[in-house]
Amino acid sequence: MSEHMAVPTAIPIPSAMISTSSAAWFYLQQGLSRLPGGHHVISYIEKATQDDPYRTAVEASLILYGIYYYLSKPQQKKGLQSNRPNLTKQEIDSLIDEWEPEPLVVPPVNDKETAERYWRLAKIPIVENHGISKYIDFTRDNKKESFENVFNLSSNNFLALSETPEVLEVAKETIRVYGVGACGPAGFYGNQDVHYNLEYTLAEFFGTEACCLYGQDFAVSSSVIPAFTKRGDVIVADDQVSLAVQNALQLSRSTVYYFQHNNMESLEELLEQLNESEKKEKLPAIPRKFIVTEGIFHNSGDIAPLPELVQLKQKYKYRLFVDEMMSLGILGATGRGLPEHFNMDRSTSIDITVGSMATAFGSSGGFVLGDTFMSEYQHIGSNAYCFSASLPAYTTTVVDKTLQIMDNDNSIVQNLQKLSRKMFYFFNSRVQLNEFFILKSSEFSPVVHLELKESFRNSKFNYTRDSLFSELLNLQKRKISDVFIEPYENEEMFLQEIVDAILVNHNILISRHTIVLKQETLPIVPSLRISCTAAMTEEELLNACENIVTTMVRLCTE
Amino acid sequence: MATKVKMLPDDRRVPMCIGEPLDSHTKRENEYGTLTDPKYLYQVKTMDAEKANKKPIMDTPPYYITLMTYLNYLILIILGHIRDFFGIRFQKNSHRDIMEHDGYAPWYSKFESFYVRRLKMRIDDCFSRPTTGVPGRFITCVERVSHDHNDYYTFPGNTQTCLNLSSYNYLGFAESEGECTNAALKIVDKYGVQSGGSRSQIGTSDLQVMTERMIADFVGKEDAMIFSMGYSTNANFFNAFLDSKCLVISDELNHTSIRTGVRLSGAAVRTFKHGEMDLLEKLIRDQIVLGQPKTNRPWKKILICVEGLYSMEGTLCNLPKLIELKKKYKCYLFVDEAHSIGAMGPTGRGVSEIFGVNPKDIDILMGTFTKSFGAAGGYIACDKWIIDRLRLDMTTPNYSEPTPPPVLAQIIASLETIIGKINPGEGTERLQRIAFNSRYLRLGLQRLGFIVYGNADSPVIPMLLYCPSKMPAFSRMMLQRKIAVVVVAYPATPLIESRVRFCMSSSLTKDDLDYLLRHVSEVGDKLFLKLNSGKSSIDNKVQRWDIEEVIRRTPEDCKDNKYFVN
Repeated sequence: MSEHMAVPTAIPIPSAMISTSSAAWFYLQQGLSRLPGGHHVISYIEKATQDDPYRTAVEASLILYGIYYYLSKPQQKKGLQSNRPNLTKQEIDSLIDEWEPEPLVVPPVNDKETAERYWRLAKIPIVENHGISKYIDFTRDNKKESFENVFNLSSNNFLALSETPEVLEVAKETIRVYGVGACGPAGFYGNQDVHYNLEYTLAEFFGTEACCLYGQDFAVSSSVIPAFTKRGDVIVADDQVSLAVQNALQLSRSTVYYFQHNNMESLEELLEQLNESEKKEKLPAIPRKFIVTEGIFHNSGDIAPLPELVQLKQKYKYRLFVDEMMSLGILGATGRGLPEHFNMDRSTSIDITVGSMATAFGSSGGFVLGDTFMSEYQHIGSNAYCFSASLPAYTTTVVDKTLQIMDNDNSIVQNLQKLSRKMFYFFNSRVQLNEFFILKSSEFSPVVHLELKESFRNSKFNYTRDSLFSELLNLQKRKISDVFIEPYENEEMFLQEIVDAILVNHNILISRHTIVLKQETLPIVPSLRISCTAAMTEEELLNACENIVTTMVRLCTE
Repeated sequence: MATKVKMLPDDRRVPMCIGEPLDSHTKRENEYGTLTDPKYLYQVKTMDAEKANKKPIMDTPPYYITLMTYLNYLILIILGHIRDFFGIRFQKNSHRDIMEHDGYAPWYSKFESFYVRRLKMRIDDCFSRPTTGVPGRFITCVERVSHDHNDYYTFPGNTQTCLNLSSYNYLGFAESEGECTNAALKIVDKYGVQSGGSRSQIGTSDLQVMTERMIADFVGKEDAMIFSMGYSTNANFFNAFLDSKCLVISDELNHTSIRTGVRLSGAAVRTFKHGEMDLLEKLIRDQIVLGQPKTNRPWKKILICVEGLYSMEGTLCNLPKLIELKKKYKCYLFVDEAHSIGAMGPTGRGVSEIFGVNPKDIDILMGTFTKSFGAAGGYIACDKWIIDRLRLDMTTPNYSEPTPPPVLAQIIASLETIIGKINPGEGTERLQRIAFNSRYLRLGLQRLGFIVYGNADSPVIPMLLYCPSKMPAFSRMMLQRKIAVVVVAYPATPLIESRVRFCMSSSLTKDDLDYLLRHVSEVGDKLFLKLNSGKSSIDNKVQRWDIEEVIRRTPEDCKDNKYFVN
């Protein structure tokens, strides 16, 4: 046996180890020789040991450890919950009996609390017939209130093209040929010729290589960003992006940094810092890097400074993602969005554009514009595209027709821009209003956001933007499901009072900017939202604005 | 403007293919075949308790098929890597998409996109086939010619009318004529095509409220909310009431939308093996005892997420057992009825009706309108106090576009047809037709010798192909025979279980199914797909029936439960 275990004389081995391993080998050899093909294994081990006994020892211990690892409990392996208590069955049963879960959602406790929270539901207008028209009829609160022929300043139907007879005729024509639903996802016979052709038309209209259609505008960002980001990638985002983009950032798995809203110095400083730290890290491959912002911001209505963004993105090799849901069809001389507004080229300035067909284009759904590689990869990599049914055919032909109309005649876009500017300057010039409210939007946005002035908010409701955000963060950190911040609620109610007063006194519908505070992860405060559409005349709009301002000032001074 | 953008050349674009208008009768028949004989109807019954609790028996292929399948993948993967290796060095131009350039990282890395570029690309012509017109009984596929191994396609401009086994048109409501279409057309005049803004601002119309009321009544819950996209219904649902101190116990095969939604909520997730109720119970017990990791505090709430009908397997969740467990352990139950609502149950009310359980015992019912209703979007149905709270806390009603009016009209009209308010009797016939069709095709395929998964009444009928190379072969051969089918593989299925998924529809006639069976049988012989071992057949014997025998005997036999193991 000792000849098998020949050991180089230079390295001494304790005799106990030799004798135990010899014994182990003896029994192993006996066992193996009984197995078919066992003698091959024996001769392999013999040879290997002769050449290098330490290798055999290492291999043997590896095998033993492998067996140990395989037999150990899976929970322990994952290290998830290693502190599993040793309990008897009775103890387990009593623990299970004792466990009382929280209710599925926070239940309304008493009448007072119900009133404090659920008033929002009663204030939702239930529109009859054309909800997008200039004048609408609606009821509220289970038909307890009813309003007729109300001037509508809260619709997103900015170009008002979806009401034109020719567009409606196209919709009907398509339904007569294609039916309503597409009955399948894009990958499985769900994409019809009309879907493909709208993608070509949109790409051509906005000057990109390709386009990709989605079923709902809100779902686009949160699907397309995670499709192209993974752990280790870098996202630099504006700190006032809307919730759809916030969700996308949360799902992206990447490291997210924020720069101050529309502040290019803040962005450059951040990019410079990141650049420095990246150089130090010496990564094996370049990470994907994105700058994320919005065209017209959902939460404030102002515009991202595209030229500076493009300059920075090129300097630091970032890709630019712009959520243009509120700006496509609105900005630029012919409604081609943010790049046209700044006289730039979309294909060389913005890498990913997200657009909505439910706003200016008067239909439903969303889309992504970009280069061919990016668009094609979404077909399999972007969940909301790959795992969701295609849009109903008529939604695509409606957009197609709308784009045709816009292409032939940009007067509607021009008219909308004129109205937007009038509205902006009107609110901007009202000194009395500006004592209480601050106009957040840009003059080009058809949606005007009016926020309470910080000083007025502080004196009336006793909180500020920062204090609200820190309180919110605090609640979120502690995972309190029931986010109820009283001063915020009071301000929301106050804004609703203004909306109601305008409605009751002047038959004009504006709205609060509806947000769900508990879902927001960036600083935000309540605001009033007034939107104009191209169907209005200047006189109508300004008259309405006059009434709005009077009521607002009256309620603020009361 | 100034720079020229590289657009897709004209000949590579899908052309508009609306053909000559057909006469009304032919058009109607193409969309929804008339019932040829009342004996081809079957009224679904509620499942008895014994059957409900029986685990589905899945047939398995012979070992050499498994081995061949792995070998098949191995070859594909090795070849793919070889092509990548040389491609990146010698064909830089065609590999630009995975290479760094000018200091920019590629959109996707070589590794992430390997499966798509090197495996899916080979059979890309079997997916995303462009269609035109109504996806009814027949589907009109736009012909395309593949070039350079599916690198690009050209379109000669012809169309091909194929028998449609691919659309989720379960009850045949994809129509361009009839009550649903008329309703949609009328609504376009009255309500337009757009909703104008989010639900909480201006997007709520009386039509929305009415649809929600109808859906709630239909599924048997107090209240419901509807959304414009099915995927987004789930993906933006869970963050309204779950956080990282809550636990989601999820079936391993749940749809991506559920997973995305749960991920967004931050809740902890534990999965259990598909359909294994014993493992689920053990997991629940463990989790209640262990509580949250690290802190060991008890979970705030535990939500069990399952689907009613699994769209890739055709299996049902074991609802009676789930309700029993949920009650015993005070968990909450979420059932996604995307595929089962409308299509299953004696009156189309989904899995709760099939099992004869009270829908009130399920906390959250979710479903979609894309499938049985021929519309678009999804719904959530719960108790009223829950829905009220969700309206405040969910993101979709507050930020996103609502369902557009024509889609609402389609939902209302199809729902009223199902419950018999419009054209009494039509809804019942549609339900009885899909039930018969599903059972007939399922039993027929089994008798021919194919391995078929799923429940007897499931309108989704997955037939196993195994080898990845048989997928394109089957799909292309079926297309030649003018049958449009869907083939699915990893990652939607386990790696080796590539399959073809027949989606049944009420619009198909018995003759259509005979045509299908004959061709599938023929192709099955050629591709060596008849691998049934008898494990999931009634007499435990290998099934290799002759096609004529199948067609002669199955129409009667398929109405009898004794011929179905699952």
